[in-house]
Amino acid sequence: MGAVPAAAPRDSTIAVVGDGFGSLIVYATAVYLGFRPEEITIYGPSDNPVGTYQQFAHNLGQTVLRSESESHFLPADWPTFAQLDAFSRRSPQPLWRSISRKYNPGVPEILSEALTVASRLGWEDSRVPTRVGWLQRAEDPAHFVLYDEDAGYLGRARHVMLALGHGPLVFPPALAKAKAADPEVDARIVQAYAPKAYHPDGRYVVIGSGIASINEWANGLDAGAKILALRRNPQPDEQDLNVPRCLFEALGIDVFQGLDFEERVKFLGTALRGTAPKRRSWQERVEHGRAEGRFAEMIGEINQVERGPAGVRIHVASAHGPDPGWLDVTGVVAGTGFNKSVLTLPLLRRLIEFYGVPVENGRIRLRTNCGVPGLDREESRLCMMGLTANTVIPHGDTIAGLKYIGRRFVADCARAERLRRRSFFGRLGMQLSLAGQTASAIRAVRRSEQLA
Amino acid sequence: MCPTTLGRTQTRTAILVGPAILGLILSLVTGNEGYIVIIGIYLLVGVALDLCFYPFVIRWQPPWLTFVLAAGEFGIVYVLAQVLKVGLDPFDAIWFFWVSWIMAIWTKIVILPIVSLTWIESGGEFRETGWSIAPDAEPMPIIAAEAVEGPDRVALAREFSAINQIPEGVRDLPAPSGLHRAPGR
Repeated sequence: MGAVPAAAPRDSTIAVVGDGFGSLIVYATAVYLGFRPEEITIYGPSDNPVGTYQQFAHNLGQTVLRSESESHFLPADWPTFAQLDAFSRRSPQPLWRSISRKYNPGVPEILSEALTVASRLGWEDSRVPTRVGWLQRAEDPAHFVLYDEDAGYLGRARHVMLALGHGPLVFPPALAKAKAADPEVDARIVQAYAPKAYHPDGRYVVIGSGIASINEWANGLDAGAKILALRRNPQPDEQDLNVPRCLFEALGIDVFQGLDFEERVKFLGTALRGTAPKRRSWQERVEHGRAEGRFAEMIGEINQVERGPAGVRIHVASAHGPDPGWLDVTGVVAGTGFNKSVLTLPLLRRLIEFYGVPVENGRIRLRTNCGVPGLDREESRLCMMGLTANTVIPHGDTIAGLKYIGRRFVADCARAERLRRRSFFGRLGMQLSLAGQTASAIRAVRRSEQLA
Repeated sequence: MCPTTLGRTQTRTAILVGPAILGLILSLVTGNEGYIVIIGIYLLVGVALDLCFYPFVIRWQPPWLTFVLAAGEFGIVYVLAQVLKVGLDPFDAIWFFWVSWIMAIWTKIVILPIVSLTWIESGGEFRETGWSIAPDAEPMPIIAAEAVEGPDRVALAREFSAINQIPEGVRDLPAPSGLHRAPGR
């Protein structure tokens, strides 16, 4: 019999609003440090903390993470994922690749680990299968009262982590309008993160230059199709993080924040230049496609869309060179990603409107401990993690970034609650037990091919 | 890992506690103080390198470099042990150094991440788990730069142009969307 989720109303020391990666990291860290599972509540409808990611990864055709060996779901940093992989498969190859920094955890392997950790630590037993629609600051002592989307009472919590994930997928305006107007065009304009298929004789435009778009270049070329990569500006709007490794650690962030604003902008301009992932297999596929005349890059923006003889006809205008004009293509794939505005997330929108939380350019101006201004207190924290916390922790929506925020949030809660922490040997035993079960789970999964 | 100077010295000291205990026990059992003295030399050499050399040549330390650094440190410690006549013959000095190094590296890889959850994130320093940034520091978004396209890259755009005749094989291909409407709607 599977785990039975918790039922509302439920009072807890720590509440996590959201049921994805972030919830698992906060939960595992809290249990590891010494909180009892019944002191933690996860709010969200999904019974699987990796479900959303798994679907996106499948649609993208993603097989390995960009993260390195340290980014995984065990509470502590040892063993690394390469060590677990090597142990489970009795092969030194992951260790060798890790030593030379060419190891990336495979998607099936890392998801197996996440499910093992969730199952072993009772994540599901602490989950109330309801979406939080509202939370209210209450006093004496300071805490939050949580309600569902129908204003039903869910319970109280001293500390709350908002791990809400991404906003909705977004299309450029001209594409969104055309999709809404014509079902035939609608089917030919798809998101990189949505299910799709390339025809070997097809010709496709892929919008964007981030990791999702690059994946789609490779997927389309692998299918034998012709791919025209289109981006709006010579300088991408949003960049996949490929920053120097030290910027992923506390001390890099210390140094980064020690600079004044202009110096930080200058530093980022230097640090992030040329961040297209230099994966050998991607480069080879793109270069091969280019040599065969099946791949090209172009700067421009689609401003008109209509049905066409090849499926869809798009008009591309460019402010940075010759105007490409009308193109006939089989389909358009938008790697433009998610709407990053916090206003697209209903709970945040309500908090912003009711409590007057400051927002700039669609982002909450978080405190530098990821606290929500006006609501966050030392003795009763309200914190955000993931993409919505990117303004504080540049890699906030990576596993490493989620861990960085989650660990510090839980440590703050432990201090506020004067937690009697788990002993060293208790932590070691728990970590070894989780590692052993993870290794068994990985052994049952087919090994993912490394890209580099 | 990107160790700081303080993190290097703190870590160095912590990981040599085990070898120092082993050296002390061996010195007491054998009556030869060379075992504990050689650990002292190792600590002094290591701290000197951590303060005066490594921070200037190594920022991000990849795992493979650990072995290279150990070989270099062994050479220095061995020569100093011979020059200072610590009382260990070459064979004993060699095996004891490498046993100590294995103890130290195991402490570093296995024990320290369990002792301190954020030891790696904190560059090897033993910090209280906390936020790096002062609460009043100003957050900022990430913006980046990229190269521009070359003139030869638009050939495919010319091929796709609506001015041209659509090749027969490109007509009426299925839509890429994997989402399908329910039958009858």
